[in-house]
Amino acid sequence: MASKPPRTAAEEYRPNRYVSLPAELDPSTYDTSPEKRRAEAERLAIRARLKRQYLLQLNNPKPPAVIEDPALLRWDYARTHNVYPNFRPTPKTSFLGAVFAIGPILFWIAAFKTERDYKEKRIREGKYERPFSVF
Amino acid sequence: MTKDQLPGPYPRTAEERAAAAKKYNMRVEDYQPYPDDGFGYGDYPMLPNKSIHERDPWYQWDQPDVRRNWGEPMHWDFDMYIRNRVDTSPTPVPWHTMRNHFLIFLGTMLVMFALGEIYPSYRPVGPKQYPFNDLYLEKGGDPDKEPPVVMHYKI
Repeated sequence: MASKPPRTAAEEYRPNRYVSLPAELDPSTYDTSPEKRRAEAERLAIRARLKRQYLLQLNNPKPPAVIEDPALLRWDYARTHNVYPNFRPTPKTSFLGAVFAIGPILFWIAAFKTERDYKEKRIREGKYERPFSVF
Repeated sequence: MTKDQLPGPYPRTAEERAAAAKKYNMRVEDYQPYPDDGFGYGDYPMLPNKSIHERDPWYQWDQPDVRRNWGEPMHWDFDMYIRNRVDTSPTPVPWHTMRNHFLIFLGTMLVMFALGEIYPSYRPVGPKQYPFNDLYLEKGGDPDKEPPVVMHYKI
């Protein structure tokens, strides 16, 4: 029977949500194809354009009081104002809402009620010793 | 900022995707929105989950403390990935190895401590033997009365 091909270092490393793959083990580091170079060139062009916009405002002899960053404003808007309009009740969101939003409230209602009822019953029966009592 | 420059709903057509990529200053090939699961992400791009620690410390960033350039699209969890917080840098030892070593160690120690609680083991001891008739006067015994004789051992 044919043996399995040996596992690559990246497969041995098994990157996950908590650690990323080191650049040395990533095959794309050693990729020098023209497609990758064109992609990098396009990204560089975008970066250079943004850098130029920023430096023009920064080195302005009369700079504005605050150099607004549209990316920051978009990030803020997306996380605050854009969440509810794009929310949709789906099985997954309903389940998560039930478990993490409604569940704890019902749980703590039940917990406090049973604990207080039990304490009240003991007080009525005279079996409860008050802690920190000054008498 | 005008409405078309702010984040919007999930892009459905290819033109909407191209417009969203241009809005976020990204290449169309790089732009990947979050899946449309109704969680409220809209058309915000899904960037790789890498923390700021992994970015080049020697490059001249526009904002050096958060290692970010002006206009660069920010990760949804940007405030979690800053250098004071979550670090996703690659570790010398793979994460699953570290996790297994830690859990094996912790599990072994807990099992041994639990066994030690259930089956304690120590040298045999007897009750402590106090002098002066079991400290009769110190414990508030009457000095006029004869204390009860306490003999612990005989040589």
